[in-house]
Amino acid sequence: MSFMEFVIAAIGIASAIGVVGFRNPLSSAFSLILHLLSIAGLYALLGAHFLAVSQVVVYAGAIMVLVLFVLMLLNLKSESGRRIGIVRSALTVGVGLVIFLTVSGPMLAQFTDISQATLEQNIKASEGGVKAIGELLYGKYMVQFELSSLVLLVGVVGAVMLAKRKNVQLTPREGGMGGAK
Amino acid sequence: MDPITSYLGIACLLFTIGGIGLCLRRNAIVLFMCVEMMLNAVNLAFVAFSKIHGNLDGQVAVFFVMVIAAAESAIGLAIILSVFRSVASIETTDAAELKW
Repeated sequence: MSFMEFVIAAIGIASAIGVVGFRNPLSSAFSLILHLLSIAGLYALLGAHFLAVSQVVVYAGAIMVLVLFVLMLLNLKSESGRRIGIVRSALTVGVGLVIFLTVSGPMLAQFTDISQATLEQNIKASEGGVKAIGELLYGKYMVQFELSSLVLLVGVVGAVMLAKRKNVQLTPREGGMGGAK
Repeated sequence: MDPITSYLGIACLLFTIGGIGLCLRRNAIVLFMCVEMMLNAVNLAFVAFSKIHGNLDGQVAVFFVMVIAAAESAIGLAIILSVFRSVASIETTDAAELKW
Protein backbone atom coordinates (compact mmCIF):
# COMPACT_ATOMS: atom_id res chain seq x y z
CA MET A 1 0.00 0.00 0.00
CA SER A 2 1.55 3.23 -1.08
CA PHE A 3 1.97 6.26 1.15
CA MET A 4 -0.71 8.21 -0.74
CA GLU A 5 -3.27 5.42 -0.35
CA PHE A 6 -2.49 5.17 3.35
CA VAL A 7 -2.93 8.89 3.97
CA ILE A 8 -6.22 9.11 2.03
CA ALA A 9 -7.61 5.98 3.69
CA ALA A 10 -6.67 7.33 7.13
CA ILE A 11 -8.47 10.62 6.36
CA GLY A 12 -11.51 8.67 5.17
CA ILE A 13 -11.71 6.50 8.28
CA ALA A 14 -11.09 9.42 10.65
CA SER A 15 -13.78 11.56 9.03
CA ALA A 16 -16.19 8.58 9.08
CA ILE A 17 -15.66 8.33 12.85
CA GLY A 18 -16.24 12.09 12.96
CA VAL A 19 -19.64 11.74 11.26
CA VAL A 20 -20.73 9.33 13.98
CA GLY A 21 -19.00 11.09 16.86
CA PHE A 22 -19.74 14.81 16.48
CA ARG A 23 -22.72 15.93 18.53
CA ASN A 24 -23.57 18.85 16.27
CA PRO A 25 -25.22 17.62 13.02
CA LEU A 26 -23.57 20.42 11.07
CA SER A 27 -20.10 19.17 12.07
CA SER A 28 -21.20 15.69 11.04
CA ALA A 29 -22.24 17.02 7.63
CA PHE A 30 -18.91 18.74 6.99
CA SER A 31 -17.09 15.63 8.18
CA LEU A 32 -19.14 13.61 5.70
CA ILE A 33 -18.07 15.95 2.88
CA LEU A 34 -14.42 15.26 3.77
CA HIS A 35 -15.22 11.54 3.85
CA LEU A 36 -16.84 11.59 0.41
CA LEU A 37 -13.90 13.52 -1.06
CA SER A 38 -11.42 11.00 0.36
CA ILE A 39 -13.48 8.16 -1.18
CA ALA A 40 -13.23 10.02 -4.49
CA GLY A 41 -9.45 10.07 -3.98
CA LEU A 42 -9.43 6.31 -3.43
CA TYR A 43 -11.44 5.85 -6.65
CA ALA A 44 -8.87 7.93 -8.53
CA LEU A 45 -6.02 5.86 -7.07
CA LEU A 46 -7.81 2.69 -8.17
CA GLY A 47 -7.99 4.05 -11.72
CA ALA A 48 -11.76 4.63 -11.74
CA HIS A 49 -11.46 8.19 -13.02
CA PHE A 50 -15.05 8.64 -14.19
CA LEU A 51 -16.37 7.47 -10.83
CA ALA A 52 -13.99 9.78 -8.97
CA VAL A 53 -15.33 12.80 -10.87
CA SER A 54 -18.98 11.80 -10.50
CA GLN A 55 -18.41 11.11 -6.79
CA VAL A 56 -17.26 14.70 -6.32
CA VAL A 57 -20.07 16.15 -8.44
CA VAL A 58 -23.00 13.97 -7.31
CA TYR A 59 -22.16 13.11 -3.71
CA ALA A 60 -19.91 15.85 -2.36
CA GLY A 61 -21.69 18.40 -4.54
CA ALA A 62 -25.37 17.78 -5.07
CA ILE A 63 -26.40 15.44 -2.25
CA MET A 64 -24.43 17.21 0.47
CA VAL A 65 -25.73 20.62 -0.61
CA LEU A 66 -29.23 19.18 -0.23
CA VAL A 67 -28.41 17.83 3.25
CA LEU A 68 -26.85 21.11 4.39
CA PHE A 69 -29.83 23.02 2.96
CA VAL A 70 -32.27 20.91 4.99
CA LEU A 71 -30.10 21.31 8.12
CA MET A 72 -30.16 25.10 7.74
CA LEU A 73 -33.89 25.05 6.99
CA LEU A 74 -34.74 23.11 10.13
CA ASN A 75 -32.58 25.47 12.24
CA LEU A 76 -31.98 22.88 14.96
CA LYS A 77 -30.72 23.58 18.41
CA SER A 78 -27.15 22.41 18.38
CA GLU A 79 -27.63 19.78 21.04
CA SER A 80 -30.40 18.00 22.83
CA GLY A 81 -29.76 17.19 26.45
CA ARG A 82 -30.00 13.43 26.28
CA ARG A 83 -26.65 11.71 26.19
CA ILE A 84 -26.09 8.24 24.86
CA GLY A 85 -25.29 5.88 27.71
CA ILE A 86 -21.80 4.41 27.95
CA VAL A 87 -23.16 0.87 28.23
CA ARG A 88 -25.23 1.25 25.11
CA SER A 89 -22.40 2.69 23.04
CA ALA A 90 -19.93 0.05 24.24
CA LEU A 91 -22.45 -2.66 23.38
CA THR A 92 -23.04 -1.20 19.91
CA VAL A 93 -19.34 -0.89 19.17
CA GLY A 94 -18.84 -4.51 20.33
CA VAL A 95 -21.61 -5.80 18.06
CA GLY A 96 -20.17 -3.69 15.24
CA LEU A 97 -16.73 -5.24 15.73
CA VAL A 98 -18.24 -8.74 15.59
CA ILE A 99 -20.03 -7.85 12.35
CA PHE A 100 -16.79 -6.38 10.96
CA LEU A 101 -14.81 -9.52 11.72
CA THR A 102 -17.45 -11.89 10.32
CA VAL A 103 -17.77 -9.86 7.11
CA SER A 104 -14.15 -8.98 6.48
CA GLY A 105 -12.56 -12.31 7.44
CA PRO A 106 -14.00 -14.45 4.63
CA MET A 107 -13.87 -11.56 2.17
CA LEU A 108 -10.15 -10.97 2.68
CA ALA A 109 -9.37 -14.70 2.70
CA GLN A 110 -11.09 -15.05 -0.66
CA PHE A 111 -8.51 -13.29 -2.80
CA THR A 112 -5.19 -14.48 -1.44
CA ASP A 113 -4.58 -16.98 -4.22
CA ILE A 114 -4.55 -14.51 -7.13
CA SER A 115 -1.09 -14.21 -8.59
CA GLN A 116 0.44 -10.76 -8.78
CA ALA A 117 0.78 -10.96 -12.58
CA THR A 118 -2.91 -11.63 -13.25
CA LEU A 119 -3.82 -8.94 -10.76
CA GLU A 120 -1.71 -6.35 -12.53
CA GLN A 121 -3.10 -7.44 -15.89
CA ASN A 122 -6.66 -7.17 -14.55
CA ILE A 123 -5.98 -3.73 -13.11
CA LYS A 124 -4.78 -2.53 -16.52
CA ALA A 125 -7.85 -4.10 -18.19
CA SER A 126 -10.30 -2.24 -15.95
CA GLU A 127 -9.16 1.35 -16.39
CA GLY A 128 -12.46 3.18 -15.90
CA GLY A 129 -12.24 6.18 -18.19
CA VAL A 130 -15.27 8.00 -19.57
CA LYS A 131 -15.09 6.16 -22.90
CA ALA A 132 -14.97 2.66 -21.44
CA ILE A 133 -17.80 3.30 -18.95
CA GLY A 134 -19.89 5.06 -21.59
CA GLU A 135 -19.59 2.16 -24.02
CA LEU A 136 -20.85 -0.22 -21.32
CA LEU A 137 -23.65 2.14 -20.22
CA TYR A 138 -25.02 2.64 -23.73
CA GLY A 139 -24.40 -0.93 -24.84
CA LYS A 140 -24.76 -3.74 -22.33
CA TYR A 141 -26.60 -1.71 -19.69
CA MET A 142 -28.84 0.31 -22.02
CA VAL A 143 -32.17 -0.76 -20.46
CA GLN A 144 -30.97 -0.21 -16.90
CA PHE A 145 -29.64 3.21 -17.85
CA GLU A 146 -33.01 4.28 -19.27
CA LEU A 147 -34.81 2.86 -16.23
CA SER A 148 -32.54 4.86 -13.92
CA SER A 149 -33.78 8.04 -15.59
CA LEU A 150 -37.30 6.91 -14.74
CA VAL A 151 -36.23 6.37 -11.11
CA LEU A 152 -34.87 9.93 -10.97
CA LEU A 153 -38.14 11.28 -12.41
CA VAL A 154 -40.18 9.40 -9.80
CA GLY A 155 -37.80 10.69 -7.12
CA VAL A 156 -38.30 14.31 -8.18
CA VAL A 157 -42.10 13.99 -8.38
CA GLY A 158 -42.25 12.17 -5.03
CA ALA A 159 -40.08 14.75 -3.29
CA VAL A 160 -42.24 17.62 -4.55
CA MET A 161 -45.42 15.79 -3.52
CA LEU A 162 -44.09 15.09 -0.02
CA ALA A 163 -42.73 18.58 0.54
CA LYS A 164 -45.77 20.48 -0.74
CA ARG A 165 -48.37 18.55 1.23
CA LYS A 166 -50.22 20.58 3.81
CA ASN A 167 -50.31 19.30 7.35
CA VAL A 168 -53.22 16.87 7.18
CA GLN A 169 -55.69 17.17 10.03
CA LEU A 170 -57.88 14.15 10.65
CA THR A 171 -61.15 16.01 11.10
CA PRO A 172 -64.52 15.06 9.59
CA ARG A 173 -64.89 16.30 6.04
CA GLU A 174 -67.28 19.14 5.48
CA GLY A 175 -68.81 20.38 2.25
CA GLY A 176 -67.38 17.71 -0.02
CA MET A 177 -63.93 17.34 -1.47
CA GLY A 178 -61.83 20.13 -2.84
CA GLY A 179 -64.05 22.89 -1.51
CA ALA A 180 -61.45 24.75 0.49
CA LYS A 181 -58.47 26.13 -1.34
CA MET B 1 -1.43 -7.73 2.34
CA ASP B 2 -2.20 -6.92 -1.27
CA PRO B 3 -3.00 -3.32 -2.10
CA ILE B 4 -6.36 -4.38 -3.57
CA THR B 5 -7.52 -6.54 -0.68
CA SER B 6 -6.63 -3.75 1.74
CA TYR B 7 -9.27 -1.67 -0.07
CA LEU B 8 -11.76 -4.41 0.80
CA GLY B 9 -10.70 -4.13 4.44
CA ILE B 10 -11.20 -0.35 4.37
CA ALA B 11 -14.64 -0.84 2.81
CA CYS B 12 -15.63 -3.31 5.56
CA LEU B 13 -14.41 -0.91 8.24
CA LEU B 14 -16.33 2.06 6.79
CA PHE B 15 -19.47 -0.07 6.47
CA THR B 16 -19.17 -1.07 10.13
CA ILE B 17 -18.65 2.54 11.26
CA GLY B 18 -21.78 3.54 9.33
CA GLY B 19 -23.76 0.71 10.93
CA ILE B 20 -22.58 1.65 14.42
CA GLY B 21 -23.64 5.24 13.76
CA LEU B 22 -27.03 4.02 12.57
CA CYS B 23 -27.52 2.22 15.90
CA LEU B 24 -26.11 4.96 18.15
CA ARG B 25 -27.42 8.27 16.86
CA ARG B 26 -30.98 9.58 17.15
CA ASN B 27 -30.93 12.57 14.82
CA ALA B 28 -32.70 11.58 11.59
CA ILE B 29 -30.35 13.58 9.33
CA VAL B 30 -27.29 12.00 10.95
CA LEU B 31 -28.90 8.59 10.40
CA PHE B 32 -29.39 9.55 6.76
CA MET B 33 -25.71 10.51 6.50
CA CYS B 34 -24.70 7.17 8.04
CA VAL B 35 -26.73 5.37 5.35
CA GLU B 36 -24.89 7.38 2.69
CA MET B 37 -21.60 6.34 4.30
CA MET B 38 -22.56 2.66 4.16
CA LEU B 39 -23.55 3.02 0.50
CA ASN B 40 -20.15 4.55 -0.17
CA ALA B 41 -18.37 1.69 1.56
CA VAL B 42 -20.18 -0.81 -0.67
CA ASN B 43 -19.28 1.30 -3.70
CA LEU B 44 -15.62 1.17 -2.73
CA ALA B 45 -15.84 -2.62 -2.45
CA PHE B 46 -17.50 -2.72 -5.90
CA VAL B 47 -14.61 -0.79 -7.45
CA ALA B 48 -12.04 -3.02 -5.72
CA PHE B 49 -13.85 -6.14 -7.01
CA SER B 50 -13.91 -4.66 -10.50
CA LYS B 51 -10.13 -4.27 -10.26
CA ILE B 52 -9.65 -7.83 -8.97
CA HIS B 53 -11.73 -9.39 -11.75
CA GLY B 54 -10.49 -7.08 -14.47
CA ASN B 55 -13.78 -5.93 -15.97
CA LEU B 56 -15.77 -2.73 -15.71
CA ASP B 57 -19.17 -4.10 -14.71
CA GLY B 58 -18.54 -3.30 -11.05
CA GLN B 59 -17.90 0.34 -11.87
CA VAL B 60 -21.17 0.53 -13.82
CA ALA B 61 -22.91 -0.90 -10.75
CA VAL B 62 -21.39 1.92 -8.70
CA PHE B 63 -22.82 4.41 -11.20
CA PHE B 64 -26.31 2.96 -10.72
CA VAL B 65 -25.93 3.02 -6.93
CA MET B 66 -25.09 6.73 -7.21
CA VAL B 67 -28.26 7.34 -9.27
CA ILE B 68 -30.39 5.51 -6.69
CA ALA B 69 -28.67 7.38 -3.85
CA ALA B 70 -29.48 10.73 -5.48
CA ALA B 71 -33.18 9.82 -5.79
CA GLU B 72 -33.15 8.39 -2.26
CA SER B 73 -31.65 11.55 -0.78
CA ALA B 74 -34.32 13.74 -2.40
CA ILE B 75 -37.16 11.55 -1.09
CA GLY B 76 -35.55 10.90 2.31
CA LEU B 77 -34.97 14.57 3.04
CA ALA B 78 -38.55 15.38 1.97
CA ILE B 79 -39.80 12.73 4.41
CA ILE B 80 -37.61 14.18 7.19
CA LEU B 81 -39.03 17.64 6.43
CA SER B 82 -42.62 16.45 6.64
CA VAL B 83 -41.90 14.58 9.89
CA PHE B 84 -40.39 17.79 11.26
CA ARG B 85 -43.57 19.65 10.30
CA SER B 86 -45.82 17.34 12.27
CA VAL B 87 -43.60 16.53 15.28
CA ALA B 88 -41.44 19.70 15.39
CA SER B 89 -38.35 17.56 15.99
CA ILE B 90 -36.21 15.16 14.00
CA GLU B 91 -35.09 13.03 16.92
CA THR B 92 -36.22 9.51 16.13
CA THR B 93 -37.32 8.95 19.73
CA ASP B 94 -39.80 11.84 19.46
CA ALA B 95 -41.51 10.36 16.39
CA ALA B 96 -42.44 7.13 18.15
CA GLU B 97 -46.22 7.26 17.73
CA LEU B 98 -47.75 5.48 14.79
CA LYS B 99 -50.64 7.90 14.24
CA TRP B 100 -51.51 11.51 14.94
